[in-house]
Amino acid sequence: MLRNSICIAASLLGLAASTAALADEAVRIGYAIARTGPFAGGAQVSQEPNYLLWAEQVNAKGGLMVAGKQRKVELIGYDDRSDTETVVRTYEKLMNQDKVDLVLPPWGTGQTFAVATLANKLGYPMIAPTASSKKLTDMKLPFVFTILQQPDQMMNALADMLVAQGVKTVAVVHVDDLFGLENVDALSKALASHNIGLLDKKSYPLGVKDLSPVLKAMKEKNPDAFLGITYPPDTILVSKQAREIGFNPKIFYAAVGTAFPLYKAQLTGNTEGVMGMGSWNAKTGAAAKDYFAAHIAKFQKEPDRWASAHAYASLQILQQAVEKVGLDRARIRDAIAGGEFQTILGPIKFKDGMNASIPGTVSQWQKGEFEVVWPKTRATATLVSPKPAWN
Amino acid sequence: MTFTLFLDLLAAGLITGGIYAIVAIGLNLQYGLMRVMNIAHGEFLMLGAYLTYVLHTTLGLNPLATLPIAMAALFLVGLLVHRLVLRRLVHSSPNIDVFEARGLVASFGLMFVVQNLALMVWGADLRGYTYLAEPLQLGGVIMPHNRLLVFAVVVVLSAGLIAVLRFTLIGKAIRAMMQAPLGAQLVGIDTARLHPWCFGAGLALAGVAGALLSMVYEISPGMGEPYTITALIVITLGGYGSIVGSLAAGLLLGLVETFGMHFTSPSLKMVLSYAVFIGVLMFKPKGLFAK
Repeated sequence: MLRNSICIAASLLGLAASTAALADEAVRIGYAIARTGPFAGGAQVSQEPNYLLWAEQVNAKGGLMVAGKQRKVELIGYDDRSDTETVVRTYEKLMNQDKVDLVLPPWGTGQTFAVATLANKLGYPMIAPTASSKKLTDMKLPFVFTILQQPDQMMNALADMLVAQGVKTVAVVHVDDLFGLENVDALSKALASHNIGLLDKKSYPLGVKDLSPVLKAMKEKNPDAFLGITYPPDTILVSKQAREIGFNPKIFYAAVGTAFPLYKAQLTGNTEGVMGMGSWNAKTGAAAKDYFAAHIAKFQKEPDRWASAHAYASLQILQQAVEKVGLDRARIRDAIAGGEFQTILGPIKFKDGMNASIPGTVSQWQKGEFEVVWPKTRATATLVSPKPAWN
Repeated sequence: MTFTLFLDLLAAGLITGGIYAIVAIGLNLQYGLMRVMNIAHGEFLMLGAYLTYVLHTTLGLNPLATLPIAMAALFLVGLLVHRLVLRRLVHSSPNIDVFEARGLVASFGLMFVVQNLALMVWGADLRGYTYLAEPLQLGGVIMPHNRLLVFAVVVVLSAGLIAVLRFTLIGKAIRAMMQAPLGAQLVGIDTARLHPWCFGAGLALAGVAGALLSMVYEISPGMGEPYTITALIVITLGGYGSIVGSLAAGLLLGLVETFGMHFTSPSLKMVLSYAVFIGVLMFKPKGLFAK
């Protein structure tokens, strides 16, 4: 009898100890992202810094509120080496073997595409901050959400802006990967519907080192606008080379990377009037301003003016969903799909897995800041056209 | 096609080709002369680029003035790598073919080590600075100064290297070592010293190439890999051990790419390069300048 009570007491104590351990246990959040390879440049500017910043901020406040208990966040991050096979294998391991509580998406359209079906199958909700692809959104995977604007949104906004500026002819270069092809497809349709003439269209491979032959031919055709569906190193390359040969159309647009602080640093004094993919800056709102300051304080560098804030906002949404329903992943998914969330980009809700609150946007460098200039509802400054001459 | 456009493309092609040539010559010193298939060649190029970047952005040194520093630093790195890795392989390998295979595997490992070291120190961000980006107009041809400078340095360096190999005693010794390692030892050539020097010189050229590239392009820890691949094509085209061959093949590849890009599409760049590569291999399997 006595022995029995001791046993019961001991097991009760043990039980108490184990529940205490459970409450203290960190919420394990896994991801793989490019730290090496060609995607690292984008991933380490727009995405992973935000994961680290958010986790630090959450832990500084005591942790994530899960079912009434505060639990610290533990990030388990791997390098996917910009390699599709590695990214898939790593997420398989994270979800099947390590059984992490939650996962965060990898960088970029292609890598997200590669793991999306897997996350969906295993029931892990994922809000992708750097995936822009109709092919992905058309799959309508219930567990996969995109928070970045999609190709048709961005390209329709661009075409509308061109019409408003009286542009009649354009020349286009685009990177020949999924991102470039989908965007140029959406762009071609939008241009055709507005009767804007496409004088020249050239594709180029990732990692191109010289586009001056292409730009020279375009200069001779004298289009009203130059539109580059480009990635960060090539965005800088086309801008520098256009300047070198004195190619200065009324509108000069280059896609990903114009929003990077690096662009300003590399184009020293030559950014004025250049347009590109951007959606916010510190003037977008008070929360955006705080985020901007916190990013600089932690990393000694500014966030980029497009995907960075979307990446951070996706974590805010995940946090709010977890605090509402706990760590049941199916319920988190439903909470994300059905709710509206307060983020640094303003209130966001999803429709068909896509961000339904932020329309396609166009930004423009003005006096050293990348300002949102289209559409007016999101604008932080008035559009300047024609683009002033390169220095 | 107008004459100006032709000149424009010619200049652009030669400059691109010059960059290929300098990277390839460095690799050729290692592979052509010593049978070290250094897959990490591009990583040492990357180190040269970061060295120039750091010296320029923190100490304000003129990037051009950092060229000899990058060269000397990478030469020393070369001696160190040789001492730590290759010397053992030379002694433990029963013959040159085994040495080549082991060297390949070892340099593959080096590639990851060097890339990840750079990643730990500088992170994966693209970095860069602007230097001599002003365009120069010459009879309708427009070129930025920095690309012209790169080309000039490439020409001077490769001419110098060809002259050293052909006309000096040390050059003769290196060629002798390549032709008959044992015979060279018998006639009193200190191969134990010359071997690491050659390797160091190969890395020194990678360092200079990296320093030059940082003046024109953005840099990142992964920037070197594509150059290693191009360099492999160039040295195979030009012939192993032939510096003149690497120079000519580099320029040829640059011209083919630039003109090809103009007449077809930049997306076909790799197809064009490989078409030239396969063509040469079919008709001159030992390379254009093989002896």
